[in-house]
Amino acid sequence: MAHSSNQIFTSYERNPALLDEIYESNGEVKEIYKKLFSLYGEHSILDYVKLNEKAKSSFFNQGITFQVYSEKDTQEKIFPFDLFPRIIDPEDWDIIERGAIQRSKALNLFLWDVYHDKKIIKQGIVPMDLISSSINYMHQMLGVDPPGGIYNHISGTDIIKHSDGKYYVLEDNIRCPSGVSYVICNRTALKRALFGVFNHYQTCSVTNYAENLLELLESVKPKGVDVPNVVVITPGMYNSAFYEHSYLAKTMGVELVEGRDLFVENDFVYMKTIRGPLKVDIIYRRIDDLFLDPLEFKPDSSIGVPGLFAAYKKGNVTLANAPGTGVADDKAVYTYMPEIIKYYLNEEPILSNVHTYHCSRPDELKYVLEHIHELVIKPVDEAGGYGISIGNRLTKSEIETVKKQIKENPRKYVAQPILSLSVHPTYIDESESFEQRHVDLRTFTILGKDKEFVLKGGLTRVALKKGNLIVNSSQGGGSKDTWVLKNN
Amino acid sequence: MLARVANNLFWMGRYIERSEHIARYLNVNYFSSLDAPNERSQDRQFVLRSMLFMVGDPVTDEKLFLDEENVLYKIGLDPGFAFSIINNVKYARENANSARDLISTELYEAINKFYHFVLKYPVDAYVKNGLHDFTVNVTEMSAILRGKIRGTLLHDEVYAIILMGVNIERATQIIRIINAKYNDALKAQGSYGHKFGNSFEWTTLLKCAESYDMMRRFYKKTPSSITTLEFLILNPNSPRSVMNSLNQVYKHIRELDLNRTYDKKSTSFLVGKVRAEYEYKLIEEIEGDIQSFIDSILDRLSEISLKMENEFFHY
Repeated sequence: MAHSSNQIFTSYERNPALLDEIYESNGEVKEIYKKLFSLYGEHSILDYVKLNEKAKSSFFNQGITFQVYSEKDTQEKIFPFDLFPRIIDPEDWDIIERGAIQRSKALNLFLWDVYHDKKIIKQGIVPMDLISSSINYMHQMLGVDPPGGIYNHISGTDIIKHSDGKYYVLEDNIRCPSGVSYVICNRTALKRALFGVFNHYQTCSVTNYAENLLELLESVKPKGVDVPNVVVITPGMYNSAFYEHSYLAKTMGVELVEGRDLFVENDFVYMKTIRGPLKVDIIYRRIDDLFLDPLEFKPDSSIGVPGLFAAYKKGNVTLANAPGTGVADDKAVYTYMPEIIKYYLNEEPILSNVHTYHCSRPDELKYVLEHIHELVIKPVDEAGGYGISIGNRLTKSEIETVKKQIKENPRKYVAQPILSLSVHPTYIDESESFEQRHVDLRTFTILGKDKEFVLKGGLTRVALKKGNLIVNSSQGGGSKDTWVLKNN
Repeated sequence: MLARVANNLFWMGRYIERSEHIARYLNVNYFSSLDAPNERSQDRQFVLRSMLFMVGDPVTDEKLFLDEENVLYKIGLDPGFAFSIINNVKYARENANSARDLISTELYEAINKFYHFVLKYPVDAYVKNGLHDFTVNVTEMSAILRGKIRGTLLHDEVYAIILMGVNIERATQIIRIINAKYNDALKAQGSYGHKFGNSFEWTTLLKCAESYDMMRRFYKKTPSSITTLEFLILNPNSPRSVMNSLNQVYKHIRELDLNRTYDKKSTSFLVGKVRAEYEYKLIEEIEGDIQSFIDSILDRLSEISLKMENEFFHY
């Protein structure tokens, strides 16, 4: 093996069936990883263990943690972070960036259409049933014109690299995508621990997210507002993403509010300050649609603001993302993305879609039931990696249960071939060595009035359990710093 | 600034300050009693009662035997005791959490470290031989927090609110400490030749307020009741004095009160009034009746705190 002199990687086992991002198919370390590989090789595994501990305590002390709720108690945990970064070369990044923007734009036009003329349905490209049966379709949004014409201001696109070397989009998240603060924290942590490695690479900065977000939000201010008052709304400090909410508010220099800090009067929104009421113009909301306004949606929501939706409909306040976007990041709508992109933009999709079988279509349902062992079954409306079944990991009785669930409610499920996510060397605590782990990538795209921006980096999520394909943090996933190299 | 968050910041300041005073009180009283000049002050039961009195949980039963480890645990690390140091630090951090977007990363990290230090402190080691280490760390970490507050926050209304919390709490704690030591002095009367003549309790009192060295420099002689009380209550140049705290509170409330209008109902007016009252007071006027002075200043401080809550925090 080419890396026999490299202390850290001596025990690294490569499974030839998987696409390892740092190796060429002939077993050589890829050109862009060579320097990194040799720099890390100068450390002994003991140095590395120490650095890893240091990075962990740095996260812990900074309170960059999330809460895990169990029956017994609430635990504060750090999001596991891997010190070996992932590198994306400028050519690959160009595809990802253009592809993410293309999807965001197409989804935005789709949403406008769905809540206005429904041309795409009338022309038979997307079935009406797909929209009207979606639990995320919001009839209250019919005919509402969001300020600046933007629905999905912030999109998180989950992308994987398949064993064929191509990037595929797994899903679009356009409700309240989270994770961007970890992109920035991961970079900070890596710089603190191993600053030397940055000298050898021209890496794009990730710290410009907040300024771009603020600029975006201000670009979609309500009519008649001169200097808008922007706030971030959070469900509160016990929410698992509270760190991110406070981070974004702090770096944008705006107030972080809770529902109880706001009130609506004559269809205008105000916040309760120490000097009395202050009008709020733009709300970056990190609470789900149904909790936004107890008068309009869930009446028992205690984290929302009564009257907020009426103020929104009047155009007196901007909500980002707009309510009702969930109808478009539904996993069943996902399967129409190539058609949607083509219809609105008259372009070919830049990023591929994973082929998807709709259980709602009888012939495809039949195929799914017959080939369940080679498919991934996903509920169309769940987030966080819940409810996913991977066919070849199921026992016979589990397969029967899944089949039964699908037959009972075919609209709720889609199926995709089991993709082979690429792997990346990841430091594993238990074995104190590097092992191959599956990774994906979440990119963050910002869409404003005449403005688009993709954060050059993104969150590489790692499935820390050996062989596991699900990377969500709620399912024991970790993350890596992700370097997009500058174009020389 | 949001009214709710202002409230959080105010209490964050108070809890940080409070943990420090409790920790120092434990430390100074415990360790000075070890070689105290008279039997009463050396008596461990006496010291433990004094500690409980200071944190607001006095033992009325004179005959009750107190277990040292239990008392130390209760005041230091007992999550079930509302006034314990661990709870104060926990509350400080919780309040910091909900104002996290407004305070600096550096300040938050320091509070968070403080919290984890206290949370992880081994109970066994603490009650057996860790009292010194624990309390010294708590006071040092509070000092770091004060430094971070001053040095890493913009001196705007966020800063003003935190420092009002810090200073109202400081004045309150200094008065509570004076009260506790006064109470000790009363109880120890039998063992002293003269009620207030004994310099030992006054030295301890000054050390509890971290003011002994400053006081020696100012008066250049051993502390007596009158000089100690004057220094801790009325001397505006003593950074721990009630007068100094009132001046600070006044300065910061004026920053919040941009209009500076003549409003007799405002917190600013009340603080100014209380401050003016003590500014020209003579210690001799207080010393005659310490107990009613203590009671009245505690009342005034909570009156200020209450008025502030109504004016700024309760929407």
